Amino acid sequence: MAPLEAASVTVEFAGLRALDDVSLTLGPGEILGLIGPNGSGKTTLVNAMTGQVPVAGGTISLGDAVLTGRTPREIAHAGVSRTFQIGRHFDNLTILENVATAALGKGAPVRVALERATALIEEFGLGRRLDDLAEVLSYGEKRRVEIARALAGEPHYLLLDEPAAGMNEEETESLIEILAMLPKDRGLGLLIIDHDMGLIMRLCERLHVLASGRTIAEGDRRTVRDDPAVIEAYLGSGSGDA
Amino acid sequence: MMARRNWLTFVLLGGVIVLVAVAAELVGDRLLLRITTNLCISMVLVIGLQIFMGNSGILSFAHVGFMGVGAYTSAVLTIPVQMKGMALPNLYPFLADVQMLPVVGMALGGLTAALVAALAVYPLMRLSDAAAVITSFALFVVLHTIMYHWSDVTNGPRTLFGIPGGTTLPLAAGVAIAAVLAALLFKESRVGRLLRASRDDEIAAASLGAHIPRLRWQAFIVSALLAGIGGALWGHFITSFSPKQLWLKETFVILAMLVIGGPRTVTGAVVGVLIVTASFESLRSLEGAINRADILSEPLVGMTELTLAVAMIAVLALRPGGICPSREVGYYLFRRRARGP
Repeated sequence: MAPLEAASVTVEFAGLRALDDVSLTLGPGEILGLIGPNGSGKTTLVNAMTGQVPVAGGTISLGDAVLTGRTPREIAHAGVSRTFQIGRHFDNLTILENVATAALGKGAPVRVALERATALIEEFGLGRRLDDLAEVLSYGEKRRVEIARALAGEPHYLLLDEPAAGMNEEETESLIEILAMLPKDRGLGLLIIDHDMGLIMRLCERLHVLASGRTIAEGDRRTVRDDPAVIEAYLGSGSGDA
Repeated sequence: MMARRNWLTFVLLGGVIVLVAVAAELVGDRLLLRITTNLCISMVLVIGLQIFMGNSGILSFAHVGFMGVGAYTSAVLTIPVQMKGMALPNLYPFLADVQMLPVVGMALGGLTAALVAALAVYPLMRLSDAAAVITSFALFVVLHTIMYHWSDVTNGPRTLFGIPGGTTLPLAAGVAIAAVLAALLFKESRVGRLLRASRDDEIAAASLGAHIPRLRWQAFIVSALLAGIGGALWGHFITSFSPKQLWLKETFVILAMLVIGGPRTVTGAVVGVLIVTASFESLRSLEGAINRADILSEPLVGMTELTLAVAMIAVLALRPGGICPSREVGYYLFRRRARGP
């Protein structure tokens, strides 16, 4: 599988630069952490990579296939899936129907989609709630359903926007276990945005740090963690103006 | 392919229709037979609307327009040749010599409505929310205007008469049962499942690969097919009608039935038709009784419409999903049975 690549991506909202010349590569079987302070452009980058917002410059590609300017639907069919920060569920559908949707969206027949969804839901520890409507789930359960749903489409790359937000410690722990297995089990490339640095440090070998729409650091997690620019971005500047 | 509990839903809903029809036949009262036949026709129309509106979440005002397409198509194809000289003197020669059986006309009426929908509505399916609702109303106005002014085929604003009867209670009930089955199968199909996902969250469904305009278009065609068949059944039931009867009042009644029952479920569509028809007819006879008894100085009018409007407001305010908001009736019974010993 070819890598998913964002090259010099720029995104503008009403003349304001939300992303400025950001380049990032995600390989198959890799877990990459995308971190940065609030408003640094992490979600915007994921939105740009999945076609939710138009890019003003730069290219997004999957191997030879150019994804720039394609619709979210086409990008899903190319093998890039995502979850949403605010959580987007099909409230009036059951857990089973929610998860099966992704398989159906990729063209699977109903019977195959339901089988695949059932297996995934059990893997995510929600087997007993298969038939409950999504609206009655707890926040943490909804997050798990959303990840299972994305996986049911059998993507090559999965972009997770704050998967652990609102989860308690126990839920975060089981999420980490599940996520850690995904690249090995499925050859999946995983990009994770999260503010929980414990989760990021345990899962991600490589980190990419954004601040004010620009890349301020990238590379091995230990190097990045000790990078003065990253520390400054997170802790605020106490030492003069940049 | 349907799960067992959906078959249970089908058997229950179909059983209710059979029960109502058989009861009416056994009593044999002419008025009751007419009311029950009308109920079955409403069932076909409301279930047709449920297929589009319930699964896509988009309110469509155009439904009665497609009902009209079916009604006029079947009328033109079935009016006896010797009657056509009087009923439609300027009818195109190739249609003037056509005289089909009512059931054939009904099938072709449905297919014509589906074809018109297939050709006309795709661009509208890209729209969501208020824009989609308003354009569906505009489409309704277009269809209505055509029926109102295409005098050669529809007799214009005047009443079109001479349509052969042919809608019996067993036929209407049979079509209603088939409509229930079609709606349940559609709901559980790949298209129906994806469409329902897009109803709950359009952005998430698109990002999972769903082609939303195409899904809506497919549902709209099936919906128009049932609207056309329902319209033709209606035409062969009342045997003379004008475009005025295919306008806002009819639209309001059909919409109220679906909204009160619950647009997201087929059970809701069936329940809505039953409840609204029952209350409509009892209010109407009450109104008639009061007027005949001369209790009031002036005759009482419009009680049925007012009650329906208030009921619709009450349901939307207190139980926005309708009486049966998200589960089919089979779910509750199946669950109880599964939990039993």
